[in-house]
Amino acid sequence: MKTPTRILALLCWTAVAVWGQKVPVEEFALDNGFKLLMVPRKGDPNVSAGWVARVGSVNERPGITGLSHLFEHMMFKGSHAIGTTNVKEELQVIGEMDAVRAEVRQEEEALIEKSRRGLIDDPKDSKNRTPRHRELLAKYEALSKRADQFMVKNEFDRIYTSAGASSMNAGTSQDYTIYFINTPANKLELWFWLESDRLMNPVFREFYSERDVVYEERRMRTDSTPTGRFREMFESMFWQASPYSWPVVGWPSDLDGITRQEAEAYYAVNYAPNNLTACLIGDFDPAQAKDLAKKYFGRLKRGPRPPEPVRTREVPQMAEKRMIAYAETNPQVQVRYHTVADNHTDEPPLIMMANLLNGRTGRLYKSLVLEQQLATNARAGSDGLKYEGYFELTGVARPGKDPLDVEKALYKEVEALQNGLVAERELQKVKNQEQASDFRRLQSNFGLMIQLLSSEALGSWQTINNYVERFQTVTPEDIQRVAKKYFGPENRTVGVYYTKAPAGRPAGSGGAQ
Amino acid sequence: MKTKNRSLTVAALYGGLLVSLPLTAQIVAHPRLLKFETLKYDPPKAAPARHVLSNGAIVYTVEDHVFPLVNVSLLIRTGQYLDPADKIGLAALAGDEMRAGGTKTRRPQDFDEEADFLAATIASSIHDTQGTAALNCLSRSLDPSLALFFDMLRNPGFDPQRLQLAKTQRLQGFARRNDQTNGIEAREWERLLRGPVHFSTAQDTRGSLEAITREDLIAFHQRYYHPASFIFAVSGDFDTKEMLGKLEKALAGWEGPKPQVAKIPPPNHQPRPGVYLIDKPDVNQCRVSMGQLGVTRDNPDHYALQIMNDILGGGGFTSRIMGRVRSDEGLAYSAGSGMPAGTYYAGVFRAYYQSKSATCAQAADIVLEEINRIRTAKVSAEELSTALNYAVGIFPRFFATPAIVAGTFANDEYTGRAPDYWDTYRARLQAVTADDVLRVAQKYLQPDQLVILAVGNAGDILKGDPTKPQHSFEKLAKGALRRLPLPDPVTMVYPAE
Repeated sequence: MKTPTRILALLCWTAVAVWGQKVPVEEFALDNGFKLLMVPRKGDPNVSAGWVARVGSVNERPGITGLSHLFEHMMFKGSHAIGTTNVKEELQVIGEMDAVRAEVRQEEEALIEKSRRGLIDDPKDSKNRTPRHRELLAKYEALSKRADQFMVKNEFDRIYTSAGASSMNAGTSQDYTIYFINTPANKLELWFWLESDRLMNPVFREFYSERDVVYEERRMRTDSTPTGRFREMFESMFWQASPYSWPVVGWPSDLDGITRQEAEAYYAVNYAPNNLTACLIGDFDPAQAKDLAKKYFGRLKRGPRPPEPVRTREVPQMAEKRMIAYAETNPQVQVRYHTVADNHTDEPPLIMMANLLNGRTGRLYKSLVLEQQLATNARAGSDGLKYEGYFELTGVARPGKDPLDVEKALYKEVEALQNGLVAERELQKVKNQEQASDFRRLQSNFGLMIQLLSSEALGSWQTINNYVERFQTVTPEDIQRVAKKYFGPENRTVGVYYTKAPAGRPAGSGGAQ
Repeated sequence: MKTKNRSLTVAALYGGLLVSLPLTAQIVAHPRLLKFETLKYDPPKAAPARHVLSNGAIVYTVEDHVFPLVNVSLLIRTGQYLDPADKIGLAALAGDEMRAGGTKTRRPQDFDEEADFLAATIASSIHDTQGTAALNCLSRSLDPSLALFFDMLRNPGFDPQRLQLAKTQRLQGFARRNDQTNGIEAREWERLLRGPVHFSTAQDTRGSLEAITREDLIAFHQRYYHPASFIFAVSGDFDTKEMLGKLEKALAGWEGPKPQVAKIPPPNHQPRPGVYLIDKPDVNQCRVSMGQLGVTRDNPDHYALQIMNDILGGGGFTSRIMGRVRSDEGLAYSAGSGMPAGTYYAGVFRAYYQSKSATCAQAADIVLEEINRIRTAKVSAEELSTALNYAVGIFPRFFATPAIVAGTFANDEYTGRAPDYWDTYRARLQAVTADDVLRVAQKYLQPDQLVILAVGNAGDILKGDPTKPQHSFEKLAKGALRRLPLPDPVTMVYPAE
């Protein structure tokens, strides 16, 4: 899941601030470092409630890629109180399962080594397993059945559902993991109870079998879509040193090997209250919410050590990188440049630059689609992550046109921004649009909650209240400056896609059997 | 009520044990011991928000002054179902080009520049059974934005070059219609359930697109766009009286008779039960849909069916299909079922999942077992109360924002929903019993009538999981597996089946 981090608008672009007002967020901090953001609002009797952990795939390392996302799944498996008929005995069985699992892992590693030396083809093929390996798996299976007897499946979900709460879900990004729900106004205490409980005493049930679900998620999103694996490869090619180079869902080999102990160590640091911020928006009383926060989230203990910022930073790119792919998709091109992290002072002019290029009246559509008739679609985007950022240009070639010509035309539009100043009216147009869309984004309680939590995860929720000033003060000179600074050829990574015929069928025909 | 009584007694017991602790420390051992105030909620009423303009247009208004924005949504009595047989795609193209093609006095680029500078978003499209248009603007730019919006509605220009561009873009899209398994699954599923000759499965093709002329678009607009066919939903930062005056003025002098709009035709097709397989050799996960025709929304059984479906597969993690296919067996990330009641003709019951090729048959067997189970044994009291509590608990969410409220009023009028629908909604659901659930499951889920469609790597799907030979697609099909060919994506001609 990815969410735009920008939000709202206050200043009028005319000199008079007629209806400017900041989002009135009340911030409340507990002694253990846990923070609660509150925006009471009239409306239907409902509260959008969520919290964010400032941890994502960027905080992983080779060997445990995908752990943040797998962990997100684990947070729905219950706790000492939820999801079990006898937690004491259940935890004992789970401990035995871990011990067997460690032995299984040794067998698996022996098979991986054999395949590395070419002695077997597939280390996952069951016919390669030793008798000892089979015995361990049978033992594990038996323990797993015993553990199941204590489990009350999906109790966490059922309690919320039965309370009329809706849209419960979670998402993992490179930089953060977010958990959210809409709860009826009279059930707010239930949210405090369940969320603090799963943070305090989680039980990572079905830890090893949940990986099967994650593999299916990967098949759905990446493997079985026409461009999924190419997009993944492009990301890894774009980032050289940065941990943004691996997918949020993780590399398959790492998912195979991650252990519950690794998950527990990760949880102790990253899900400690000092790394969490919660947010409530809607029909509630802040005084009562503060009491409930103290009562419930006050139970959580600070982590053993504070989470550390990511150390590895991207290194400057020295030469253009290029990927040429044949996929079941229209011929198209994707060009990406390294730029700046979220909330950098160059971010507003970069976003404005993207806005100038986008839309029905944007420069790309006017030039590439309408005038030159090279493309059927073209767009730009600026994305600031927590530690790094990028700017991307994409264009889909018109039938019969070469994506390489689309690529050249994209560069021409960047050059125009480098060589000349944007007209005041053109800039004013995108400022006006930015301001209106900021109001639009604020309208939904749920949307505002996601915005506040993601801003908080990347830096501080406060950025949403100075966003407008940062934007409305961008000048034509600022845009020219960033266009010159970040868009050199050695700083770009290019993906070119050509159309591949569907497997098993000749190009252009449909259903040959 | 039952739950509440129970929680009170147990809470008292625990209270006794914790008596020495300060009040704030008394955290109950399980959420069932929490006590909640009753939530009283009455849905908003449509009648006071309804206005009729002099030329017959209907307007629903919901004021809301928190943000300086105005939202105007418009429903128009038209739809893709009105496409002539040799010009499939006409209505959709007309709807899009009203917005893209400028007006009689504004070139497309000028219209777009004006709208963008005002930061007004203006949209127009025509869907299966309705036309829509929308404006969202800052309240202080309301007048110039409305002027643009109504210029589009009254005087679309249908610029020839923009029309040509739209045709090129569509043609390019056609070529990709067989690339993604989700698109193939959705299209072929509809075709199996609705038949190849109903408007809901009609596909635009190179031929139908090339046959559509600018004159066709102009004629389509003239025929169906008239205030007597309009239902507005206006919400946001405005004064109702002023708004009605503005709309009255904007529509004044719109000549022409009230459009005669043909009825929406129901499909005339009896789905052929059985197992169908579509080969997409380069994917490692297959997508499966299984189901049959359902009911219309005026069928009194649809409340019980909603609860039945919730328990079976509609209720996310709490439902049986998700519990077994995902939680127990790890065979899918996404699995469940849906049973929307149709507005104009019977809806469709559909259970679905995506699973790796080897376990596709195993998951199918599990879903079938669950379909059989819900029609042979009564659901538990806990399952029933969870589904009922949820259905009633989320009710206020149906009216979460002023735009949703106004939009619901307009849509209810457009589709002719019974006026007391929302007032009686919760009571009708709460009346559903476990016996009702069993009865409707037996009546509307018929395993021998199921259509089962799988899209994926056919070879691997048929091979299945060698360690679990009891699950096989051939067995599922009882030896009558039907392989479906894909059509040519541009002409949509299917090879002889």
